[in-house]
Amino acid sequence: MFLKVQLNWNVVIPAENLDIKGLMLQKAILVRLLDDFSAKKATKDLGYLLAVTTLDKIGEGKVREHSGDVLFPLSFTCLSFKIFRGEVVEGIVHKILKHGVFMRCGPIENLYLSNQKMSDYQYQIADNPCFLNIKTGSRIEKDMTLRCIVIGVKYMEAQKEFQAVVGLEGDYLGPV
Amino acid sequence: MSGEEEENAAELKIGDEFLKAKCLMNCEVSLILDHKLEQLQAMSDDPSNQVSQVFEKSLQYVKRFSRYKNPDAVRQVREYPQLLSRHQLAEFELCVLGNLCPETVEEAIAMVPSIKSRGRGHDDEAIEKMLNDMSLIKKFE
Repeated sequence: MFLKVQLNWNVVIPAENLDIKGLMLQKAILVRLLDDFSAKKATKDLGYLLAVTTLDKIGEGKVREHSGDVLFPLSFTCLSFKIFRGEVVEGIVHKILKHGVFMRCGPIENLYLSNQKMSDYQYQIADNPCFLNIKTGSRIEKDMTLRCIVIGVKYMEAQKEFQAVVGLEGDYLGPV
Repeated sequence: MSGEEEENAAELKIGDEFLKAKCLMNCEVSLILDHKLEQLQAMSDDPSNQVSQVFEKSLQYVKRFSRYKNPDAVRQVREYPQLLSRHQLAEFELCVLGNLCPETVEEAIAMVPSIKSRGRGHDDEAIEKMLNDMSLIKKFE
Protein backbone atom coordinates (compact mmCIF):
# COMPACT_ATOMS: atom_id res chain seq x y z
CA MET A 1 0.00 0.00 0.00
CA PHE A 2 1.21 3.49 -0.82
CA LEU A 3 1.19 5.90 2.10
CA LYS A 4 1.38 9.64 2.54
CA VAL A 5 3.32 10.49 5.69
CA GLN A 6 4.46 13.66 7.39
CA LEU A 7 8.01 13.50 8.74
CA ASN A 8 10.29 15.69 10.83
CA TRP A 9 13.94 15.56 9.87
CA ASN A 10 16.95 17.75 10.46
CA VAL A 11 19.25 18.83 7.67
CA VAL A 12 22.73 20.26 8.06
CA ILE A 13 23.80 23.06 5.74
CA PRO A 14 27.58 23.58 5.52
CA ALA A 15 28.68 27.08 6.40
CA GLU A 16 29.89 27.84 2.87
CA ASN A 17 26.37 27.34 1.47
CA LEU A 18 24.95 30.07 3.66
CA ASP A 19 24.19 33.18 1.73
CA ILE A 20 22.92 36.64 2.54
CA LYS A 21 20.12 36.24 0.04
CA GLY A 22 17.43 34.12 1.67
CA LEU A 23 16.36 32.40 -1.53
CA MET A 24 19.66 30.62 -2.00
CA LEU A 25 19.45 29.29 1.51
CA GLN A 26 15.99 27.86 0.93
CA LYS A 27 17.21 26.20 -2.20
CA ALA A 28 20.22 24.76 -0.38
CA ILE A 29 17.91 23.35 2.30
CA LEU A 30 15.58 21.78 -0.25
CA VAL A 31 18.41 20.27 -2.28
CA ARG A 32 19.93 18.88 0.91
CA LEU A 33 16.61 17.35 1.97
CA LEU A 34 16.08 15.72 -1.43
CA ASP A 35 19.61 14.29 -1.35
CA ASP A 36 19.20 12.94 2.17
CA PHE A 37 15.80 11.56 1.27
CA SER A 38 16.93 9.58 -1.75
CA ALA A 39 20.02 8.36 0.10
CA LYS A 40 17.81 6.99 2.86
CA LYS A 41 15.90 4.77 0.40
CA ALA A 42 13.84 2.86 2.97
CA THR A 43 13.10 2.48 6.67
CA LYS A 44 11.65 -0.42 8.58
CA ASP A 45 8.57 1.46 9.73
CA LEU A 46 7.69 3.45 6.64
CA GLY A 47 8.84 1.13 3.89
CA TYR A 48 10.38 2.46 0.70
CA LEU A 49 10.65 6.24 0.47
CA LEU A 50 9.41 7.40 -2.92
CA ALA A 51 9.23 11.14 -3.18
CA VAL A 52 8.92 14.33 -1.17
CA THR A 53 5.65 16.00 -2.08
CA THR A 54 5.72 19.19 0.02
CA LEU A 55 8.14 20.94 2.33
CA ASP A 56 5.77 22.15 5.03
CA LYS A 57 7.93 23.99 7.52
CA ILE A 58 11.53 25.11 7.96
CA GLY A 59 12.33 25.70 11.62
CA GLU A 60 14.80 28.00 13.26
CA GLY A 61 18.42 27.14 12.33
CA LYS A 62 20.95 26.26 15.01
CA VAL A 63 24.66 26.88 14.54
CA ARG A 64 26.89 23.95 15.36
CA GLU A 65 29.73 24.98 17.55
CA HIS A 66 32.84 23.49 15.99
CA SER A 67 32.10 23.40 12.27
CA GLY A 68 29.92 26.46 11.92
CA ASP A 69 27.41 24.39 9.95
CA VAL A 70 23.76 25.15 10.54
CA LEU A 71 21.17 22.57 11.45
CA PHE A 72 17.56 23.15 10.37
CA PRO A 73 14.59 21.16 11.65
CA LEU A 74 12.19 20.47 8.78
CA SER A 75 8.73 19.10 8.48
CA PHE A 76 7.67 17.69 5.12
CA THR A 77 5.23 15.29 3.49
CA CYS A 78 6.31 12.33 1.40
CA LEU A 79 5.07 9.16 -0.26
CA SER A 80 6.16 5.72 0.84
CA PHE A 81 5.33 2.15 -0.05
CA LYS A 82 4.91 -0.53 2.58
CA ILE A 83 3.56 -4.02 2.32
CA PHE A 84 1.51 -5.51 5.16
CA ARG A 85 0.94 -9.04 6.30
CA GLY A 86 -2.59 -10.06 5.33
CA GLU A 87 -2.79 -7.52 2.50
CA VAL A 88 -3.91 -8.68 -0.95
CA VAL A 89 -1.59 -7.34 -3.64
CA GLU A 90 -1.02 -7.67 -7.35
CA GLY A 91 2.47 -8.44 -8.58
CA ILE A 92 4.20 -9.11 -11.87
CA VAL A 93 5.99 -12.45 -12.29
CA HIS A 94 9.63 -11.93 -13.30
CA LYS A 95 11.31 -15.23 -12.57
CA ILE A 96 10.09 -18.84 -12.58
CA LEU A 97 12.06 -21.51 -10.77
CA LYS A 98 11.29 -25.10 -9.96
CA HIS A 99 10.56 -24.33 -6.32
CA GLY A 100 8.48 -21.20 -6.88
CA VAL A 101 8.16 -17.85 -8.60
CA PHE A 102 9.44 -14.34 -7.90
CA MET A 103 7.25 -11.30 -8.41
CA ARG A 104 7.71 -7.56 -8.48
CA CYS A 105 5.32 -5.27 -6.64
CA GLY A 106 5.98 -1.55 -6.69
CA PRO A 107 9.56 -0.96 -5.55
CA ILE A 108 9.75 -4.46 -4.05
CA GLU A 109 11.79 -6.74 -6.32
CA ASN A 110 11.28 -10.02 -4.50
CA LEU A 111 7.85 -11.30 -3.59
CA TYR A 112 8.35 -15.01 -3.30
CA LEU A 113 5.58 -17.49 -4.01
CA SER A 114 6.72 -20.98 -3.05
CA ASN A 115 5.35 -24.01 -4.87
CA GLN A 116 4.15 -25.21 -1.48
CA LYS A 117 1.84 -22.22 -1.31
CA MET A 118 0.20 -23.03 -4.65
CA SER A 119 -0.46 -26.73 -4.32
CA ASP A 120 -2.85 -26.79 -7.31
CA TYR A 121 -0.08 -25.76 -9.67
CA GLN A 122 2.66 -28.04 -11.05
CA TYR A 123 6.00 -26.93 -12.45
CA GLN A 124 6.35 -27.60 -16.18
CA ILE A 125 9.77 -28.02 -17.77
CA ALA A 126 9.85 -26.26 -21.13
CA ASP A 127 11.66 -23.51 -23.02
CA ASN A 128 9.40 -21.11 -21.20
CA PRO A 129 8.98 -22.73 -17.81
CA CYS A 130 5.63 -22.20 -16.16
CA PHE A 131 3.34 -23.48 -13.43
CA LEU A 132 0.20 -25.23 -14.66
CA ASN A 133 -3.04 -26.08 -12.89
CA ILE A 134 -4.02 -29.35 -14.54
CA LYS A 135 -7.64 -29.17 -13.41
CA THR A 136 -8.45 -25.69 -14.65
CA GLY A 137 -5.74 -25.20 -17.29
CA SER A 138 -4.72 -21.95 -15.62
CA ARG A 139 -1.03 -21.06 -16.06
CA ILE A 140 1.50 -18.89 -14.27
CA GLU A 141 4.04 -17.50 -16.72
CA LYS A 142 6.62 -14.76 -16.86
CA ASP A 143 5.34 -11.15 -17.08
CA MET A 144 1.92 -12.16 -15.91
CA THR A 145 -0.07 -10.47 -13.14
CA LEU A 146 -0.84 -12.51 -10.04
CA ARG A 147 -3.11 -11.56 -7.19
CA CYS A 148 -1.82 -12.98 -3.93
CA ILE A 149 -1.95 -12.57 -0.17
CA VAL A 150 1.07 -11.48 1.89
CA ILE A 151 2.10 -14.10 4.45
CA GLY A 152 5.25 -12.56 5.84
CA VAL A 153 7.46 -9.51 5.34
CA LYS A 154 11.15 -9.11 6.07
CA TYR A 155 13.27 -5.98 6.08
CA MET A 156 16.97 -6.30 5.42
CA GLU A 157 18.66 -3.43 7.16
CA ALA A 158 22.00 -3.70 5.35
CA GLN A 159 20.59 -3.60 1.82
CA LYS A 160 17.58 -1.48 2.79
CA GLU A 161 15.32 -3.83 0.90
CA PHE A 162 12.06 -5.54 1.74
CA GLN A 163 11.23 -9.12 0.84
CA ALA A 164 7.91 -10.85 1.27
CA VAL A 165 6.51 -14.35 1.14
CA VAL A 166 3.10 -14.58 -0.51
CA GLY A 167 0.53 -17.30 -1.08
CA LEU A 168 -2.32 -18.19 -3.42
CA GLU A 169 -4.38 -20.07 -0.86
CA GLY A 170 -7.61 -18.16 -0.58
CA ASP A 171 -10.62 -17.17 -2.63
CA TYR A 172 -10.18 -15.02 -5.72
CA LEU A 173 -6.39 -15.27 -5.72
CA GLY A 174 -4.29 -16.30 -8.70
CA PRO A 175 -3.63 -15.10 -12.25
CA VAL A 176 -5.61 -11.99 -13.17
CA MET B 1 2.23 -0.81 17.41
CA SER B 2 1.70 -3.39 20.10
CA GLY B 3 4.02 -6.25 19.22
CA GLU B 4 5.02 -6.80 15.65
CA GLU B 5 3.59 -10.28 15.45
CA GLU B 6 0.11 -8.86 15.55
CA GLU B 7 0.30 -6.92 12.32
CA ASN B 8 -2.39 -8.27 10.06
CA ALA B 9 -4.01 -6.22 7.35
CA ALA B 10 -6.86 -8.70 7.00
CA GLU B 11 -8.08 -7.65 10.42
CA LEU B 12 -7.08 -4.04 9.86
CA LYS B 13 -4.23 -4.39 12.35
CA ILE B 14 -1.60 -2.39 10.58
CA GLY B 15 -0.15 -0.31 13.35
CA ASP B 16 -1.69 2.87 14.66
CA GLU B 17 0.63 5.15 12.77
CA PHE B 18 -0.74 3.82 9.49
CA LEU B 19 -4.36 4.09 10.42
CA LYS B 20 -3.56 7.77 10.86
CA ALA B 21 -1.19 8.09 7.91
CA LYS B 22 -3.03 8.55 4.68
CA CYS B 23 -3.24 5.51 2.45
CA LEU B 24 -3.18 6.21 -1.27
CA MET B 25 -4.57 4.26 -4.19
CA ASN B 26 -2.35 3.32 -7.11
CA CYS B 27 -4.19 5.77 -9.35
CA GLU B 28 -3.53 8.65 -6.95
CA VAL B 29 0.14 7.77 -6.69
CA SER B 30 0.32 7.63 -10.46
CA LEU B 31 -0.99 11.19 -10.76
CA ILE B 32 1.40 12.48 -8.10
CA LEU B 33 4.50 10.75 -9.44
CA ASP B 34 3.76 11.81 -13.00
CA HIS B 35 3.51 15.39 -11.88
CA LYS B 36 6.68 15.05 -9.82
CA LEU B 37 8.57 13.61 -12.78
CA GLU B 38 7.55 16.53 -14.98
CA GLN B 39 8.70 18.93 -12.28
CA LEU B 40 12.05 17.22 -11.91
CA GLN B 41 12.65 17.14 -15.62
CA ALA B 42 11.79 20.79 -15.99
CA MET B 43 14.02 21.75 -13.08
CA SER B 44 17.25 20.00 -13.98
CA ASP B 45 19.06 19.95 -17.27
CA ASP B 46 21.66 17.75 -15.68
CA PRO B 47 21.21 14.19 -16.99
CA SER B 48 23.04 12.74 -13.99
CA ASN B 49 20.26 14.05 -11.76
CA GLN B 50 17.93 11.16 -12.50
CA VAL B 51 15.12 9.87 -10.35
CA SER B 52 15.83 7.09 -7.88
CA GLN B 53 15.25 3.44 -8.68
CA VAL B 54 12.56 3.26 -6.05
CA PHE B 55 10.74 6.11 -7.81
CA GLU B 56 11.17 4.57 -11.25
CA LYS B 57 9.92 1.12 -10.23
CA SER B 58 6.95 2.55 -8.35
CA LEU B 59 5.93 4.69 -11.30
CA GLN B 60 6.04 1.68 -13.64
CA TYR B 61 3.98 -0.31 -11.20
CA VAL B 62 1.25 2.25 -10.61
CA LYS B 63 0.96 2.92 -14.34
CA ARG B 64 0.19 -0.73 -14.88
CA PHE B 65 -2.14 -1.07 -11.92
CA SER B 66 -4.17 2.13 -11.97
CA ARG B 67 -7.85 1.33 -12.30
CA TYR B 68 -8.98 4.91 -12.65
CA LYS B 69 -7.12 7.13 -15.10
CA ASN B 70 -9.04 10.35 -15.12
CA PRO B 71 -8.17 12.74 -12.23
CA ASP B 72 -11.85 13.54 -11.67
CA ALA B 73 -12.74 9.89 -11.28
CA VAL B 74 -9.85 9.43 -8.87
CA ARG B 75 -11.17 12.28 -6.76
CA GLN B 76 -14.69 10.89 -6.79
CA VAL B 77 -13.50 7.54 -5.47
CA ARG B 78 -11.46 9.25 -2.79
CA GLU B 79 -14.42 11.32 -1.63
CA TYR B 80 -16.85 8.45 -1.88
CA PRO B 81 -16.86 7.31 1.78
CA GLN B 82 -17.76 10.82 2.91
CA LEU B 83 -20.83 10.86 0.68
CA LEU B 84 -22.30 7.86 2.41
CA SER B 85 -21.59 8.07 6.08
CA ARG B 86 -23.14 4.69 6.71
CA HIS B 87 -20.51 3.11 4.51
CA GLN B 88 -17.81 3.84 7.02
CA LEU B 89 -14.63 2.66 5.39
CA ALA B 90 -11.12 2.87 6.79
CA GLU B 91 -8.73 4.47 4.34
CA PHE B 92 -6.84 1.26 4.04
CA GLU B 93 -10.01 -0.59 3.04
CA LEU B 94 -11.05 2.01 0.51
CA CYS B 95 -7.62 1.86 -1.11
CA VAL B 96 -7.58 -1.91 -1.37
CA LEU B 97 -11.04 -1.80 -2.98
CA GLY B 98 -9.94 1.00 -5.30
CA ASN B 99 -6.80 -0.89 -6.31
CA LEU B 100 -8.33 -4.29 -6.89
CA CYS B 101 -11.85 -3.32 -8.00
CA PRO B 102 -13.62 -6.52 -6.93
CA GLU B 103 -16.80 -7.25 -8.88
CA THR B 104 -18.83 -9.28 -6.44
CA VAL B 105 -19.59 -9.02 -2.74
CA GLU B 106 -17.90 -12.33 -2.10
CA GLU B 107 -14.76 -11.17 -3.87
CA ALA B 108 -14.73 -7.89 -1.95
CA ILE B 109 -14.92 -9.72 1.37
CA ALA B 110 -12.12 -12.06 0.29
CA MET B 111 -9.93 -9.04 -0.57
CA VAL B 112 -10.81 -6.96 2.52
CA PRO B 113 -12.10 -9.34 5.23
CA SER B 114 -12.24 -6.49 7.74
CA ILE B 115 -15.21 -4.80 6.02
CA LYS B 116 -17.34 -7.70 7.13
CA SER B 117 -15.83 -8.52 10.47
CA ARG B 118 -15.34 -5.31 12.36
CA GLY B 119 -18.90 -5.37 13.56
CA ARG B 120 -19.86 -2.28 11.60
CA GLY B 121 -22.95 -3.87 10.21
CA HIS B 122 -21.96 -3.90 6.58
CA ASP B 123 -24.43 -6.39 5.26
CA ASP B 124 -24.07 -7.86 1.80
CA GLU B 125 -26.52 -5.38 0.37
CA ALA B 126 -24.54 -2.38 1.61
CA ILE B 127 -21.33 -3.82 0.22
CA GLU B 128 -22.96 -4.48 -3.12
CA LYS B 129 -24.21 -0.91 -3.31
CA MET B 130 -20.69 0.25 -2.56
CA LEU B 131 -19.18 -1.84 -5.36
CA ASN B 132 -21.83 -0.69 -7.81
CA ASP B 133 -21.21 2.95 -7.02
CA MET B 134 -17.49 2.50 -7.47
CA SER B 135 -17.84 0.72 -10.78
CA LEU B 136 -20.21 3.46 -11.98
CA ILE B 137 -17.49 6.02 -11.36
CA LYS B 138 -15.20 3.93 -13.51
CA LYS B 139 -17.77 3.54 -16.25
CA PHE B 140 -18.36 7.26 -16.57
CA GLU B 141 -14.80 8.48 -16.40
